[in-house]
Amino acid sequence: MAKSRGENGPRAPAAEGSLSGTRESLTPGSDAAAADELSSLGSDSEANGFAERRIDKFGFIVGSQGAEGALEEIPLEVLRQRESKWLDMLNNWDKWMAKKHKKIRLRCQKGIPPSLRGRAWQYLSGGKVKLQQNPGKFDELDMSPGDPKWLDVIERDLHRQFPFHEMFVSRGGHGQQDLFRVLKAYTLYRPEEGYCQAQAPIAAVLLMHMPAEQAFWCLVQICEKYLPGYYSEKLEAIQLDGEILFSLLQKVSPVAHKHLSRQKIDPLLYMTEWFMCAFARTLPWSSVLRVWDMFFCEGVKIIFRVGLVLLKHALGSPEKLKACQGQYETIEQLRSLSPKIMQEAFLVQEVVELPVTERQIEREHLIQLRRWQETRGELQCCSLPRLHGAKAILEAEPGPRPTLQPSPSIRLPPDAPLPGSKGKPKTPKQSQKEKEQWEQAKASGQLDKLPTPSQAKGAAAAGDACPPQDVLPRDAAHQDPALQDSASQDPAHHRSQDSVHHCSQESLTSQESEDTYL
Amino acid sequence: MGNRTEEDYNFVFKVVLIGESGVGKTNLLSRFTRNEFSHDSRTTIGVEFSTRTVMLGTAAIKAQIWDTAGLERYRAITSAYYRGAVGALLVFDLTKHQTYAVVERWLKELYDHAEATIVVMLVGNKSDLHQAREVPTEEARMFAENNGLLFLETSALDSTNVELAFETVLKEIFTKVSKQRQNSTRTNAIALGSAQAGQEPGAGQKRACCISL
Repeated sequence: MAKSRGENGPRAPAAEGSLSGTRESLTPGSDAAAADELSSLGSDSEANGFAERRIDKFGFIVGSQGAEGALEEIPLEVLRQRESKWLDMLNNWDKWMAKKHKKIRLRCQKGIPPSLRGRAWQYLSGGKVKLQQNPGKFDELDMSPGDPKWLDVIERDLHRQFPFHEMFVSRGGHGQQDLFRVLKAYTLYRPEEGYCQAQAPIAAVLLMHMPAEQAFWCLVQICEKYLPGYYSEKLEAIQLDGEILFSLLQKVSPVAHKHLSRQKIDPLLYMTEWFMCAFARTLPWSSVLRVWDMFFCEGVKIIFRVGLVLLKHALGSPEKLKACQGQYETIEQLRSLSPKIMQEAFLVQEVVELPVTERQIEREHLIQLRRWQETRGELQCCSLPRLHGAKAILEAEPGPRPTLQPSPSIRLPPDAPLPGSKGKPKTPKQSQKEKEQWEQAKASGQLDKLPTPSQAKGAAAAGDACPPQDVLPRDAAHQDPALQDSASQDPAHHRSQDSVHHCSQESLTSQESEDTYL
Repeated sequence: MGNRTEEDYNFVFKVVLIGESGVGKTNLLSRFTRNEFSHDSRTTIGVEFSTRTVMLGTAAIKAQIWDTAGLERYRAITSAYYRGAVGALLVFDLTKHQTYAVVERWLKELYDHAEATIVVMLVGNKSDLHQAREVPTEEARMFAENNGLLFLETSALDSTNVELAFETVLKEIFTKVSKQRQNSTRTNAIALGSAQAGQEPGAGQKRACCISL
């Protein structure tokens, strides 16, 4: 993935498992230091030995913090349907955003199919546009030496983000290298902002879904459009949001609000990590992804809603408060939240239904801002307005710009046969097989919503931009296991879905048929 | 130092860990309260804490240890963190001189936000990394003495002096508390700052005093 190693990249460890974060100890001549450090190797987890690591579907080492137990699986057919819908949206993004934004929002609430999540996040956040507008910029930043002061701090953090995720478990591995590159690039891109530690988990989540350059631009969007001021020098924005959160809580859960009030618990004592990391360090991973899907679409209001839901369910009744006699016990309760309230389906439902709007947040923001100015003087952080989601970000883009072109992340050699494309004519064997698959699909009654093969081919021939490559995620390491499973179990079924599905005929004016399952 | 159950204690002492990012605050916390250490413990964002109840003589002391991010810009949000703290461990990494060089700044930060009577120990952590030492013991010890601070070198990794560090601070706090009680004419004249509200244990627990020195 790291085809261009920037200067001052993290050095590959001299020996496997080298400890130090400082430059000095890895220069030649300090072997004694290195050897000594190696001798003090061995955290508790390493001592116990990870002889054989099993990885869950998100990439977390099974048994470690972050790995989840059995999860609800979406039926494969529903997943395929969603994928084709998303592909259609991504391939006609501007039109969809202009005319059917509500539909996009609904689909984000349902959850973005894993295979398309990385791409969708880039489109939603405007990171994709940013990248197109700044060709070569990331490479330029990547190649530049960073400010040593920031590099030092960043290096100390590389092995401290999701250390039980396969991507970040190896010191000096590609994941940590890319994390370094992205974070360093940001300090060069915005030297007045520099580096804030909460940016690391954010960048890490992005890197789990897309390459470094794309992740960089998404990070830029998060730091500048979604959560401006969160990572800046005085952390003023997060303090303000803490007050806003607490204020909104009064209506959402008067019981919780009263308790926190009485206990004199500063919001910063519980919401800092929540908000600054967009719950990436708080919720089970499946919930994190659902929250981020909605967050990229609808903005910070989602973060507020999640916070309010958690507070309401953790502290919202006299029963729950029995265990919260004091300040310490209350905060402790908020740090060990019941899995039930964090569970994906429950949480998403609650968030979607919570009647807290952008307008309310903005109104509260003004109130808290005024209060701040009265008691603490002027704010130093940016007075840039926060943009509430994908649509706002898109509309704030100055001037006309080229329509988003889909850029397939897998490039096949020019003579490779593509299923259903306008490319090479099929061999007789291929067409026969497709015909059989078609008959099969027809027989099993799956065809009500599907276009006929001729339609699909026609669409492809007409140059409708739906390159089939996009169905397969570029990062093979994170391939949706569902895909693989289906391939092994029923290749014919799988391929028929592929050839017909990913060139969906959905037009913008057609009656949208909803998923059969939520 | 024996252990009591978490429910049974006479006193609650809030102790904060402060110092530069990466010096080992989080691991000192986990080593003391859970006897755990990890090379890859997560970057602290926001506030973490843990407790351990220890015996000092016949008194059961619940030590409430607070931990937060060391990075400079987090200074902006720490006043809530310091509120009600009676003890502090100011930690530096003895293999990184830079983390020691800023100790005075941390002291100032501490005294700006916490009670003047707060018990402070200067802690040079990572003593297991013998060859990588950048701060001479004597230098740090002198500084501590000149500034009225306790001093110890610790290793959260191999546990050296971790118990001793916390125990010493807690004992010192306890001594101050006892003196204060002796000095006051009424045994119940203990200052309960507003920040302490809510730290009193509920019914069913031993009567405890939340101390503000």
